[in-house]
Amino acid sequence: MKSKTLLAYAGLCILAIAGGLLAGYLTFHPRHPRPVTEAVLLHEAKPLPEFTLSDTAGQGFTRAALLGHWSLLYFGYTHCPDACPTTLSELDHMQGQLRGVPAADKPAVYFISVDPQRDDLALLRNYALYFNPAFIGATGNVESLKALTAPLGVDFSYDPADRKGDYGVNHSTFVVLVDPEAREVALFTPPLQPKRMAADYLAILKYYGENT
Amino acid sequence: MPRRLPVLLLLLAAFVPAARGEGPSVRAGHVWIRQAPPGVSVLAGYFSIENLTDKPLTLTSVKSPDFGTVEMHESVSQGGTESMRQVGEVDIPALGSVEFKPGGYHVMLMQPKKNLFAGDMVSLTLAFSDGSELAILAPVRRDPPQR
Ligand SMILES: [Cu+2]
Repeated sequence: MKSKTLLAYAGLCILAIAGGLLAGYLTFHPRHPRPVTEAVLLHEAKPLPEFTLSDTAGQGFTRAALLGHWSLLYFGYTHCPDACPTTLSELDHMQGQLRGVPAADKPAVYFISVDPQRDDLALLRNYALYFNPAFIGATGNVESLKALTAPLGVDFSYDPADRKGDYGVNHSTFVVLVDPEAREVALFTPPLQPKRMAADYLAILKYYGENT
Repeated sequence: MPRRLPVLLLLLAAFVPAARGEGPSVRAGHVWIRQAPPGVSVLAGYFSIENLTDKPLTLTSVKSPDFGTVEMHESVSQGGTESMRQVGEVDIPALGSVEFKPGGYHVMLMQPKKNLFAGDMVSLTLAFSDGSELAILAPVRRDPPQR
C-alpha cells in the first residue's frame, strides 16, 4: 500500500521533471533543429547594408533588388582563368540540380565583378550568360563594391600589372547565400559540389521557412 | 556522335608515354582545357602527370604552338581568398604524380592564335628535368572530363 503511493509519487515527480525539461527545451530551441550542412550556416542571419551597383538586368543592383527571393552572390572578375569559371559552371550545375524546384524557391545568381577597370556591363552580360542564361552580372566602382563586400567579409585586391598591363585580382572564393529579407545566411566554400550545394540550399530554405 | 572523337583522341594521347632511352618516364591523364567564356582570351589547362621512374622529376616548361605565351600558375587559397602566382617548375615525386586541377596548379594559355571552342584540340609539349618531353593533345571543353 505504502510502496504503491510512493511509486505514484515518484511517477508524478518524473513527469513534472520531464515536462519542465520539455518546456525549457521548447523555449530555448526553435521547433526545428538546424540542418547539418557542408555550407557554413551563420548562427544568426546578418542583414545586408544599403549598396548601389549596376547590373546586367538593367535595374540598379541594390539591397532592394535582393528582397523577395533567395540569392547567391559570387565575387570575381572575367579575366580570372581558374576560380571564376570553375565556380560559375558549378553554380550552373547546382541550378540544374534544382530543376524540379518551384521557380519562386530558386536562387537568383549574381556574378559581381570586383575588377570594374576591365569589366563593363556588356562584357559581364556575355560572360554571365555563357554559364547560365539566368545569371546576372553586376559591378560598380571600388568604393561602391566595398560597401557590399566589406560587411560580407569578401576580400579583393589587385596584383601589380605586368608589361602588357595584365594583372591578377585576388578575391574571396566563397559563395554567399542571401535570404528574401536581404540577409546573409550561409556561405558555400570551395571545392563546391553542385549536388551537395543544392541539398544544403533546400535544407536551409526549409529551416528558414519553418522557423520564421 | 562527332563529340566523342576528341575524347577518343584524348584517351590515345593521354596514354602515349614520353618514350626516351630505357622507357617512358612520365604519363599524362585527365587532360583538358577550359573553354574561355566570351570576351576572355586566357584559357586554363589541366592534367595529371605521373612519374614512372624511381627518381624525382621536375616539369620545367609547357609550350604550345597555338598560344603566344604559356605559363604554369598555382591558385593559392589563404583565409578564403584566392590569388594566383606563376611557378617556374613543378616537382613530381618518384613513382608519384601531380595534378593540375581547378583551384591548384594550372597552365595559363595566353594570346591564342585562333578562337578555340569546345571540341577543338590543342597540342601541348611538356618538358622535364631529365631532358624528356611529352607531347599531349588537350581537348577544349566546357566542363571537366568525367573521372
Ligand atoms: Cu593562372
